[in-house]
Amino acid sequence: MKEYGNMEERLSRGREDYEKIPVPEEMRAKLEAGIDRALAEKEEMRMADREKRISENRKKQNMEKKNRGKITGFRIAVAVAAAAAMVVILPNTGADVAHAMGSIPVVGKLFQAVTFRDYQYESDRFDADVEVPQIVVGESEKEAGEQEGTGTKHNAAADQSGGAVSDELQQTVEQINFDIEKVTDQLINEFQELADAGESYGSLEIHHEIVTDNEAYFTLKLFIYQGAGSGYQRYKIYTVDKKTGKQVQIGDLFAEGSDYNGVLSENIRDQMRAQMAEDENKVYWVDYEDVPEWNFERLKEDQNFYFDEAGNLVIVFDEYEVAPGYMGALEFTVERAVFEEMLK
Amino acid sequence: MRSGKEEAVRKVLLENYERYYRLAFSYVHQEADAMDIVQEGAYRAMLKADTLRDEAFAGTWVYRIMINEAKEYLRKSRRESVEIDENLMAAGEHYRDLDLHDAIGRLPEQEKTLIILRYFEDKQLSEIAEILEENLSTIKSRLYRTLGKLREELSVSA
Repeated sequence: MKEYGNMEERLSRGREDYEKIPVPEEMRAKLEAGIDRALAEKEEMRMADREKRISENRKKQNMEKKNRGKITGFRIAVAVAAAAAMVVILPNTGADVAHAMGSIPVVGKLFQAVTFRDYQYESDRFDADVEVPQIVVGESEKEAGEQEGTGTKHNAAADQSGGAVSDELQQTVEQINFDIEKVTDQLINEFQELADAGESYGSLEIHHEIVTDNEAYFTLKLFIYQGAGSGYQRYKIYTVDKKTGKQVQIGDLFAEGSDYNGVLSENIRDQMRAQMAEDENKVYWVDYEDVPEWNFERLKEDQNFYFDEAGNLVIVFDEYEVAPGYMGALEFTVERAVFEEMLK
Repeated sequence: MRSGKEEAVRKVLLENYERYYRLAFSYVHQEADAMDIVQEGAYRAMLKADTLRDEAFAGTWVYRIMINEAKEYLRKSRRESVEIDENLMAAGEHYRDLDLHDAIGRLPEQEKTLIILRYFEDKQLSEIAEILEENLSTIKSRLYRTLGKLREELSVSA
């Protein structure tokens, strides 16, 4: 024992020896190969996922096209021309249209999303598939027909009651279009800069979908995917109340004083628990004791949402918002019966 | 446009891979095996990087992955005892204090990890607790017990 000194000294000499363990030269290349293999696999998973999404999207778009059969070719041409000229809303949607529709002038208007900017890019390591929509509001054919038959005597009164709402709608739509343009311009610029620099790799995808278009609401859903290796998925969802012409946040749907947030959040937490119990691959931040501050507690004021065809509420979470990244962006449908009583 | 977590994990890997190699080497005593462990650990860490909630934990988190990878490797190989003894002989030239080295080598995995992290990797006890996902008092008492064991072994062999 003496020849080695005490325990502390022996361990510290042991450390010197440990640090002299030679690290083979190939170690670094092998490490990088491990890193690259993981990145390539993630990219592959993402591509497979993306193809699935694109084909789903196409199916939906085809359905939409069928449903839109009633719209004349002329009307679509007008809308597209308007968008191309960067006029984001058809002119004269105020007074002219309003008088034809009496006291609820916004209902019955034709809401459309048209492609305002198309940005495509493809190289070895960069790809972009971007369609930037703008909302266009015109008269529906029905109202246009009625308009012709309507005598001029109604005009003055209807202009007064309807004009304000139409102005409101026009402002709302312009605001939404402005917001879409701002967000997408920035993403495209960032992507373009990276692609020009040519380092690393990246992709950008932006698509849209009209998820609701009924008597009460028009909702446009913007899907944004930004990534390389591992990406980031998120949504921007815009809902217009056709009666008021205003943009709607989730809180606007419910009567004042109702605990809609508590009720919806609890419902979503229950769904998370049930899914996790059923499938061990699913992970949500709920009842997570190790780090309680990650747990999903309440909906945000500007939480993304929309109504599905059955009138159920779909709550949309961005990637990382309520679950680890590999779970992607998430949607939870809350049955109408759960919240119906609290609606305004 | 790679995610921040992925970038953080990648950086930690590139900065510390030599440490992971030495750690792995002290488990398996074979260059090729140790390199495989580190490569596999790097692959796994990158694959799961997005599940890391806070980039600040990337360092301890990668250590944990590497240690688990090494243990997994030993479990799979099922030839630990025989080969380790042979390799200890072969690797003897690196070590001035062979008795100490042998005594550490004979410790159970858990205790060996503790000695390496505390004395060779110079980690704080709190950091070790994080890496091994144990509470601090468990780590403390285990370390003192292990040191006592080493002392006893060495006095017998001396």
